[in-house]
Amino acid sequence: MKLGFLTALSMLFLMVATPVSAKVAVGERVPDFSLADSNGKTQTLSQYRGKVVVLEWTNPACPFVGKHYGSGNMQKQQVDATAAGVVWLTINSSATGKQGDIDAAGANAYIAKVGGRQTAYLLDPSGSAGHRYAARTTPHMYIIDAEGILRYMGGIDSIASTDKDDISKATQYVPQALAELKAGQPVSVPTSQPYGCSVKYGS
Amino acid sequence: MRGSLIPLLGAAAMTGAACANAAPAVADQVNVTLIAEQTALVPGERAWVGLRLEHEPHWHTYWINPGDSGLPTKLTWHLPSEIKAGDIAWPAPQRFAVGGLSNFGYGGEIVLPVPIQVDADAKPGSNAKLALEARWLVCREECVPGKKRLTLTLPIATGARANAATRKAFASAHAAQPVASSWSGQAILDGDQVVVALSGTDLPSAEPFDAFVVQNQLVGYAPPRFARRDGGLTLTFDKSEYLTATPATLDLVLVDGKPPNTHARSVTVPFAAANPSVKP
Repeated sequence: MKLGFLTALSMLFLMVATPVSAKVAVGERVPDFSLADSNGKTQTLSQYRGKVVVLEWTNPACPFVGKHYGSGNMQKQQVDATAAGVVWLTINSSATGKQGDIDAAGANAYIAKVGGRQTAYLLDPSGSAGHRYAARTTPHMYIIDAEGILRYMGGIDSIASTDKDDISKATQYVPQALAELKAGQPVSVPTSQPYGCSVKYGS
Repeated sequence: MRGSLIPLLGAAAMTGAACANAAPAVADQVNVTLIAEQTALVPGERAWVGLRLEHEPHWHTYWINPGDSGLPTKLTWHLPSEIKAGDIAWPAPQRFAVGGLSNFGYGGEIVLPVPIQVDADAKPGSNAKLALEARWLVCREECVPGKKRLTLTLPIATGARANAATRKAFASAHAAQPVASSWSGQAILDGDQVVVALSGTDLPSAEPFDAFVVQNQLVGYAPPRFARRDGGLTLTFDKSEYLTATPATLDLVLVDGKPPNTHARSVTVPFAAANPSVKP
């Protein structure tokens, strides 16, 4: 009974603590957030104003994330993007105790294991950043331009599957949009259906 | 507060039994088989085969539109030239809600029926080997992708009987099919909402139990709001933030009645351009 009461209390707390806000939309200014990264440093989105930022929602135990890290697709996109001056923030919104929930040391071990090349790996166990961006799958990708305007949100690529063999046949939306932004062109695919595991929110 | 969650998680992990750690065998979450409704294939006739999914408790696979996450089950057929398989006749889905996200799919035991058309010149007395590769994603909260090659060899004969071993499974599968309704109506995009107005003589008298839109990237996946108005039924969905262009039509599956005595009906309505004069 006590457990049930505490669980109910914690759920109520999460509901109250999660702000109800307008959803993010392509072409509009994105909300700011501050999260601790895997090195204990606070990462605030607005500190990167003036640079293009990629947000990548992740869960190390999700097979769709495994598809893109196991094949090297995600790391290659991170290398190419950051080499071009783009900031790449990986965000883990798994709630405490849910699948994919890792602490800072766990995140660093994971990054070392897979050879992650993101700018920073952010921990969001309260789900506050995830809810603000209505992130619903892992992976789920967003691109924010230098002025803080959302230019892409959606899936990592055009073939919804867990099969690594599909990657080479799919359109990789993030590199495509980054190249178009760099060339001063409109983003040809500004949204796509996100696919993957659900983000393991606590509420 | 954190500590209070841990015993719950321990319990949740244990219900998964052997699958808590290492890559689990597919059979731990869902048992997948290929079954036929009848004992033989008859030249010139349509037969039903089906992918039977027997889910372990708390695990589910997905409908054609999986909702906020997940993947629909996919079949790739390898058939003799005189046999053609149609698309899955998707049973009405159930809603699975976790952590503020909605998914549409199936738990328990379900058959995804597929119509098989046999050419009129198929030779009675021979056997036909139906082979397919099934791919699915099965989730509880965590997800495991699965794939399996399945074969079913059936005689081609001048007549066929019901297969006693699968009779019940197919009866349930057919009962779970949405029945095409005679309703008319239209969908409109109204600001951040998609409003579907239906009229007809046999609309549900009470509030429908749930409604599901077939197309993805069109509406949000939370349950719609229902309203009876002027003898009609109005369903209001939040617009999907991934909607870029409205499709020509909206396909809807409407489920009413209380489980397990639900029945499902389908309707396809044209998508009208937003028109303020349509509103009351």
